[in-house]
Amino acid sequence: MLSVEGLNTHYGRAHILQDMALSIGRGEVMVLLGRNGAGKSTTMKSIIGMVRPSSGAILFEGQPIAGQEPHRIARRGLGYVPEERRIFADLTVMENLEVGRQTPRDGMRPWTPERLFELFPNLGLMRHRPGGRMSGGEQQMLTIARTLMGNPRLVLLDEPSEGLAPVIVEQMAHAILALKREGLTILLAEQNLHFAGRVADSATVVEKGRVVWSGSIAALRADETARSQYLAV
Amino acid sequence: MEIVIPQLLTGLAGASSLFLIASGLTIIFGVTRIVNFSHGSLMMLGAYIGWSILTRLPRDPEWFVLGVLAAALATAAIGVVLEITVLRRVYRAPELFQLLATFGVVLVLQDVTLWLWGAVELPLPRPRWLRGFVEIAGSRLPLYDLILIGIGPLVLGLLWLALHRTRWGTLVRAATLDRGMVAALGVDQRLLFTSVFALGAGLAGLGGALSLPNSSANLGIDLSVITDAFVVVVVGGLGSLTGAFVASLLIGVLQAFGIMLLPKITLVLVFLVMAVVLVFRPNGLLGRPQAEAREAALPAPVVRAAPRELRLLGLAVLLLAAAAPFLAGDYALSVLTDACVAILFAVSLHFMMGPGGMASFGHAAWFGIGAYAAGLLLHWLGTPMPFGLLAAPLAGGLFAALFGWFVVRLSGVYLSMLTLAFAQITWAISFQWVEVTAGDNGLLGVWPPEWARSPRVYYWLALGLAAGVALLLRRVLYAPYGYALRAARDSSPRAQSIGLDVPRLRMVALVIAGASCGLGGALFSYAKGGVFPTYISIAHSVEALLMVLLGGLQTMAGPIVGALIYTGLADLLVRSTDLWRLVLGAVIVVLVIAFPEGIAGAVRRLWLRGREA
Repeated sequence: MLSVEGLNTHYGRAHILQDMALSIGRGEVMVLLGRNGAGKSTTMKSIIGMVRPSSGAILFEGQPIAGQEPHRIARRGLGYVPEERRIFADLTVMENLEVGRQTPRDGMRPWTPERLFELFPNLGLMRHRPGGRMSGGEQQMLTIARTLMGNPRLVLLDEPSEGLAPVIVEQMAHAILALKREGLTILLAEQNLHFAGRVADSATVVEKGRVVWSGSIAALRADETARSQYLAV
Repeated sequence: MEIVIPQLLTGLAGASSLFLIASGLTIIFGVTRIVNFSHGSLMMLGAYIGWSILTRLPRDPEWFVLGVLAAALATAAIGVVLEITVLRRVYRAPELFQLLATFGVVLVLQDVTLWLWGAVELPLPRPRWLRGFVEIAGSRLPLYDLILIGIGPLVLGLLWLALHRTRWGTLVRAATLDRGMVAALGVDQRLLFTSVFALGAGLAGLGGALSLPNSSANLGIDLSVITDAFVVVVVGGLGSLTGAFVASLLIGVLQAFGIMLLPKITLVLVFLVMAVVLVFRPNGLLGRPQAEAREAALPAPVVRAAPRELRLLGLAVLLLAAAAPFLAGDYALSVLTDACVAILFAVSLHFMMGPGGMASFGHAAWFGIGAYAAGLLLHWLGTPMPFGLLAAPLAGGLFAALFGWFVVRLSGVYLSMLTLAFAQITWAISFQWVEVTAGDNGLLGVWPPEWARSPRVYYWLALGLAAGVALLLRRVLYAPYGYALRAARDSSPRAQSIGLDVPRLRMVALVIAGASCGLGGALFSYAKGGVFPTYISIAHSVEALLMVLLGGLQTMAGPIVGALIYTGLADLLVRSTDLWRLVLGAVIVVLVIAFPEGIAGAVRRLWLRGREA
């Protein structure tokens, strides 16, 4: 569904992604693991087009998308949930959802605010509250819901568990599992292996902008050496 | 009371007109982050187009309404063309370059308007219904003023509905907060930007057409309106529609009562209000702190000393310049003297703007203060030129310190606008304090003494002072103070945390810039034999910006190159074509699109790339 091949991205002179590669099948949940600064967010930003990769191929549903503008990539059904959440602080919950809305896609049940409120019941209780006056967990739910309003086929989910209370992380895991049951393909960036292990099928481990390990979650669980070498703090 | 109410209503009518202009400006800024200098020109076009339409229509009220709406639509269409051809290409350029590009548009539109409609101002013949009066509380009030008073809140209400009750409005508000995220959610920003610009232009056109019955279509509208609109938008808070409305009321009413009570200081009054508001509320009445732009601008490259070859080249040029009187005629020498003044003007602005990070929109203020210091001393006390040349930088530095106390507290667009306000205050004083400054007529007979009167000697004097100041500023820039100043520019909080006194560093930069610029002003006055309020005009301040930005901010040679190119270009254009504004404006727009880092910056990049290869 999404394949990234030999992707290189620079910030000025700094070479951030070095021959990054990954491939996700339809309905798969893959976790991108790695320490701070490993290149997880940059990978996601390169895929959605917010950062222009300097070379490499990105294929989404067989079509090349590398170097296209973000809104075109998003229109193809690729959703992006940023790490910093980037809620429109002055806009209400309903208005934030409206900004994310795109026309329904063939063969998919379209997302509506009502359906999203079933997934994130808290949001349904504060429809007219400005985004700026919500808690971190509520904002995290809203940013995911907002992206889902675009009826994406694949979602790039950047560290959704970051900075959240354990009980909220738990709700987040439930929500992601529910989305997985809907058939959504998800690329998840995480540092929290425990959280990732609950929702993901496969894992790609990055370090200094390169892929250093990839395989199934079960294989990663079994591979003590890889875990301590690449992921232990 | 019988005076107060009509005056209040006049003020409210003025406020409505102001709001029509300011609302468009503030919405455009909110979404595109562009301060649109050409917004006043759009209003001017609206007035002219309105005149052309309304004079051809029957004079009934319903035709008036239709004609005004048609003028607004036509202006909106012009806005679309402008956005697609110019603005769209500079959205990624630095803020000031965007401003420069829109100023280029101002120049182009000025000549286009002149060419299409001629230089004579065009009043609209007023039919009977437009001349009607209404009796309120014992006073007769013009009907049209009352209509205008109603239009302001009506437009505010419609805009509010459009922004809060439509999908388009939701997207616009979201884009005002975080453009990048809106794009990542699949929204094509180009459509959004074009539509917002069209709306703003349409509002300006509406304002222009509606202004016809009370004034006329004339070529002075663009710059006079844009300064008022800037003040309103800044006082209200950039990007805030309600703020613009409140500020329009404040400024409109203040102007009406100011004219009644203290006719002499109305010009000063408006800018004084702006200065006071900005000191107490640095982001305007209802504005918010400017969020760090999400699409962060590229960090300023490190200014390095010029490579050896370039320094040798500079030395050669200086020697050639010193030999110029043996090679060139008197006319060429007078142009070269102007170029020396331009260099002083540009390097002093570059000093506070490049290393200092403070983009002044009123740099002509120091120039004028230096000029008036020399001129007034000669005029009233008979002080000869050498003392005048000494007094000018002192006066420039002193006033820079005075204004600086306010200025160093602000940053970004607000800082630029406050410097503009101070320049306008200075201009207003020079223009209106006729007893001392001779007002519009200027101070005449400001000539150098006998020994310096030949073009040759005066040129050498100007060259010596310009080169000396430029080298001195270069020395300061590479001294520890220069490094501290640049640290303060790059990150004020970090500079403060390592113990640098940021406001003081910036204050010193302002004083140095003010003094150098003041010297340029005095030098210019003796060369021209007079001092005039036009030295402090907005157009003159923009010239300084043009020179610096043409040359590029990131090199020391930049402002010098920019000053030379600008002086040469302007001289060439004024001599060879009547449409020099059109050509100059178009050149500016093309240069900004082609060289967003300035000419010297581009040359330097190519040079370095050539050497690396």
